[in-house]
Amino acid sequence: MTAETIIQSLASGLLMGLLYGLIAVGLALIFGLMDVVNFAHGEFLMIAMYASFFLFAFFAIDPLLAAPLVAAALFVFGAVVYLLIVRFAVRAKANAGMVQIFSTFGLAIVMRGVAQFFFTPDYRSVTHSWFGGKTVSIGGIFLPQPQLIGAAVAMLAFGGLYYFINRTDFGRALEATREDAGAVALVGIDKNRVFALGWGLGAALVGLAGAIMSIFFYIYPDVGASFALIAYVTVALGGFGSVFGAFAGGIIVGLVEASTALLLPPSLKSVGIYAVYLLVVFVRPRGLFGSM
Amino acid sequence: MDTDFAKRRRRDLIVAFCLAAIAAVVPLFVKDSYVQNIMVLTLMWAALSQSWNILSGYCGQISLGHALYFGIGAYTTTLLFTKFGVLPWFGMLGGGLISALIAMGLGYPCFRLRGHYFAIATIVIAEIGLLLFHNWDWAGAALGIEIPVRGDSWLKFQFARSKLPYFYFALALACVAWFVTWWLEDSKWGYWWRAVKDNPDAAESLGVVVFNSKMGAAAVSAFLVAVGGSFYAQFVSYIDPESIMGFHISLLMALPAVLGGIGTLWGPMLGAVILIPVTELTRSYAGGSGRGVDLIVYGGLIIAISLARPQGLVSLFAPKRKEATR
Amino acid sequence: MTITRRNVLLGATAAAALAPIAARAQTSEVVIGVTYPMSGANAQIGVDAQHAYVTATDIINNNHDFDLPLAKEVGLPGLGGTKIRLVFADHQGDPQKGRAEAERLITQEKVCAIIGSYQSSVAVTISQICERYQTPFVSADNSSPSLHTRGLKFFFRAAPHDEMFTKAMFDFYDALKKKGTKIETLALFHEDTIFGTDSANAQIKLANERGYKIVADIKYRSNSPSLSAEVQQLKSANADVLMPSSYTTDGIMLVKTMAELGYKPKAIVAQAAGFSEKALYDAVGDKLEGVITRGSFSLDLAAKRPMVGKINDLFKAKSGKDLNDNTSREFMGLIVLADAINRAKSTDGEKIRAALAATEIPGEQTIMPWKRVKFDELGQNNDADPVLLQYIGGKFVTISPPQGAVAEAVWPMK
Repeated sequence: MTAETIIQSLASGLLMGLLYGLIAVGLALIFGLMDVVNFAHGEFLMIAMYASFFLFAFFAIDPLLAAPLVAAALFVFGAVVYLLIVRFAVRAKANAGMVQIFSTFGLAIVMRGVAQFFFTPDYRSVTHSWFGGKTVSIGGIFLPQPQLIGAAVAMLAFGGLYYFINRTDFGRALEATREDAGAVALVGIDKNRVFALGWGLGAALVGLAGAIMSIFFYIYPDVGASFALIAYVTVALGGFGSVFGAFAGGIIVGLVEASTALLLPPSLKSVGIYAVYLLVVFVRPRGLFGSM
Repeated sequence: MDTDFAKRRRRDLIVAFCLAAIAAVVPLFVKDSYVQNIMVLTLMWAALSQSWNILSGYCGQISLGHALYFGIGAYTTTLLFTKFGVLPWFGMLGGGLISALIAMGLGYPCFRLRGHYFAIATIVIAEIGLLLFHNWDWAGAALGIEIPVRGDSWLKFQFARSKLPYFYFALALACVAWFVTWWLEDSKWGYWWRAVKDNPDAAESLGVVVFNSKMGAAAVSAFLVAVGGSFYAQFVSYIDPESIMGFHISLLMALPAVLGGIGTLWGPMLGAVILIPVTELTRSYAGGSGRGVDLIVYGGLIIAISLARPQGLVSLFAPKRKEATR
Repeated sequence: MTITRRNVLLGATAAAALAPIAARAQTSEVVIGVTYPMSGANAQIGVDAQHAYVTATDIINNNHDFDLPLAKEVGLPGLGGTKIRLVFADHQGDPQKGRAEAERLITQEKVCAIIGSYQSSVAVTISQICERYQTPFVSADNSSPSLHTRGLKFFFRAAPHDEMFTKAMFDFYDALKKKGTKIETLALFHEDTIFGTDSANAQIKLANERGYKIVADIKYRSNSPSLSAEVQQLKSANADVLMPSSYTTDGIMLVKTMAELGYKPKAIVAQAAGFSEKALYDAVGDKLEGVITRGSFSLDLAAKRPMVGKINDLFKAKSGKDLNDNTSREFMGLIVLADAINRAKSTDGEKIRAALAATEIPGEQTIMPWKRVKFDELGQNNDADPVLLQYIGGKFVTISPPQGAVAEAVWPMK
């Protein structure tokens, strides 16, 4: 194993990790806001990828340009999912935890079925885009442009999110609602509206991730499944509810995955991620940055 | 208060006995092997879900990784039989014991985790198990293991066409799982679990005993699920990691309990009796289109039931049960 | 039409189990069960297969001027012109469901034979059930070599298995070497499923026998979000030939990742699967000029046998795709089965089995590059010669074996 191999693997892992973080951060945001884990998160990613694909196929819009459009569409979709399903799930008087797991899980299955119904199970790809298939080489280390762009978008998104939560009125409303949903109602903030906007924002972030992913990933109705578990582990590793945790969790997951593949047969590379998750939560039961 | 409780328990036992007796004669009249196959699967998933419910429903430790124990049961039986000629009945017992031990070993660090951290830990552990079996050449790795079928035999627990032996075994397993639950409800453990659920502060004062009782519940739950896994291996006579230990197996164990009523005595049974036939029939009669209609129906049903009946469908039958248990 | 009938059944779930018995009064058809993954990750395969089988049924049931068994007649003359009808069943790639569906097809739909099933793991349980019910199972497109060596009487496979496919690759290397091309090292890249494992095992066995050195043996998890680490290892091994055994998804990722990491293999010889799917070439075809894949089928045959082109057109009208490695095998599998039912002059399982065992179809009466269809005592057709195809200028040309080749191989690839 040469130094070049190691550096290349870690560089690829880091870039992939930032993307994992971007995919996962919407999940962390929603959980932080209202303690709900969206088990259809992978399917949100799937429809975002399809949206980006169709914008490309019918209107020849490059996925990078499409990203804001996809994010906007997902924002609406996320808010609608909240208003139509999740709103009722969190209201459940009994077994609220189970109800929200399984209502979003049911949604995931429906979304896969609907995607198969309308889009057929064919594999799609965005065949040419500004950055697709291009790569930058620095001293023998190759950095694929789509992933570089993804990493840049991820960092921008995290920066923006940080600013948004801490510096804007809506961000403060989110924080306040998260801390005490009952009290904010007294000051005249409509809890449902805040939650719907929170879901919209979480979905918009997945939308961003989906648009970037569509540059270099194949698209089909079950594509979300490949990323769902990684996204949950990423969020839990960082600590549920912590936006910064998702960021850090993503990077860790990416690096651990890459280094496991160097040491073990690559078919076992996920074992490294899972083992690190278990080690972390056994020591810190609320993840790295979760509130204790 | 206690007399109500005792009365209900007696009534539950009588109802269960009657239902089991009725179930036992059904296959004598319904001879279609496709329908019998659905009945076997329904009973098996009812038993599995009932076992899952002990840990996840009564103790409140939501496990989404019970496929691990299912797989260990299936693999222990099959490996012992195909490699060493050990009869599946001993394999079943062995697989159950191994699973129970592993469940306790894992419970020790995991029970300190709460909510989603615990659930994700269970998913991840089962996933590690799946990957290890996938890469374990001696155990067939991805190729899986086929159990050679050499004619009908109770000793080897294999039957070429008849579903009846499998049906009665699955029925027996479902009855055992139900009875264990029934018995636990009125045990010391059941009492602590209710106390902890009703009043989280009680958890603090009962800390150590509750922890030990959870370890016990994990062991019982894993043992029964492993026996179910052994049974499944015999029933299908072929196992491979993906179809035995995949995440969908863990979900299928949780779903009947969730739909029927989690943490209730009858919920898993009721959920399985509805869910499994619907799943099988939608696939058989709507799945051939290749257009995902079966998924839409199946997923829609899960959303509808979990939103409309958060306490599970069992609440339709006994709206006042909640008060009765208190 | 079938959909509505099924929806009615679905509505009356309780009655559904009993309904088919009543619904099957008229038996003027020969019913054949077809089982595939029709939902889930491999649904596309099932949908494509459906088109292939419907095309074959059309040719069997109606009059077509092809030199193919049963094409010129209407229906099955051996059964007085009876037509065949297909019943499709979805096994979702799950061995247990495959088993249950096979049993349903046999006992409820009263099929006289079953054909399927794409995933080899599902073929294991379906063929077991078929054996128990003495119903023939024709494995159209399963390539696992272990399937036919289990001592099953009712198992038949007209197409080659992985060891035959792999042998064709090594024969090709040997021939190139004789001409002076340097081929010493191989890199294997295979997924961790039955398909990948069987394929790699066959490749390792032959490499050892024929003196090729395997410098990398990368087993990866199918549908991985990223293959960078895997490709990195392939790159540092830099073998003379890269031999992937991957489905469409991972195939696409492999090719994209290789380009991104600046790895240009000297040659790629693929175990078909993803590398014979249109979706893969739609996505990354521009990076695959000169890739070689094994195949059971080649459209080049159309030049020699015009009916191949016409049948391809019939299929394309339904599916929008050319016949490929899978769909051609599926098409041919049903023709072989129908031919046997016709000769058996019966829908009795034992008689069809005997007729299948006596099958002798010359290669010219198939759409495949095979010598003939004739099953050995294990139910395997050993005269199904695979071909190697090279992707040149946006389409496949046959480069091996010599008798079927229409072009010289371009080696190394561009």
